[in-house]
Amino acid sequence: MEFLKELVREKVEFMIVGLSAAALQGAPVVTQDIDLWFRALPDPGLERVLKKVHGAYVPPTARTAPMLAGKGIELFDIVLRMDGLGDFDDEKRHAMKVPLGRIKVLVLSLSRIIASKKAAGREKDRIVLNVLTDALKAVRGHERPGPRKTLRQRKR
Amino acid sequence: MRISLDKVEHECRRRDLSIGELLHESGVSRNAFYSLARKDSVVPRSLIRIAERLDVSVRALLEDAGTPVARLKSLAAEAERISKRYPGADRDNIRHTLLLLNEKPVERLRRALRRGRFIDIR
Repeated sequence: MEFLKELVREKVEFMIVGLSAAALQGAPVVTQDIDLWFRALPDPGLERVLKKVHGAYVPPTARTAPMLAGKGIELFDIVLRMDGLGDFDDEKRHAMKVPLGRIKVLVLSLSRIIASKKAAGREKDRIVLNVLTDALKAVRGHERPGPRKTLRQRKR
Repeated sequence: MRISLDKVEHECRRRDLSIGELLHESGVSRNAFYSLARKDSVVPRSLIRIAERLDVSVRALLEDAGTPVARLKSLAAEAERISKRYPGADRDNIRHTLLLLNEKPVERLRRALRRGRFIDIR
């Protein structure tokens, strides 16, 4: 969490996507990592944060995606684009701010995660799609405060 | 029965929360909270009259929704209601999501990662 706190402190533009984002919104899923979608890479703010946490940014190669190296941050994966979705600024409108302890982080909405998983169409995405769509129904049908409004809904 | 602001503040202090943070995380607006807090009684008048007629305290007519059994019943009822609204949805998925919605987001993430890679995030 320290890494996320530092990213917020340094005003690095990012959002949590993938199954960890779905889990944050209540979906009963299992994940190995926390996928982070950065608005721009490399980012000077990210570099400052990595220095603080003694980590390093490993640029992409022809065969590998960019990665984060260092103790405590191997848990985070970098995502460059989301299948079936628009660019970062477009999708930011579908994101919501979720409290994580004392900070708030931008998290891609469940409906957009589902859209992306559908577009990706990999076996591992298909397996989890039913759980995600059921979770979205539960969140929507939840009587109490339920999901926080997305930035777009809040602006209306 | 009315809301004790002192008690709310005391519980907030115990959890290291401000009133603003509490209201935000509970999804309750400031207006709604303070208008409730200003009321002499948060119990509906009709219930007070029923209790008076029965010559019992209002408390005697209420069920504590905070007990584990009451919470479970309420959750099962909500899962049932949502399943009816969305035929085809898996009841276990609905129930598990509702259970997780009662947790803080950080705890939801911790659970997902713990099951996925046996890791303790701090």
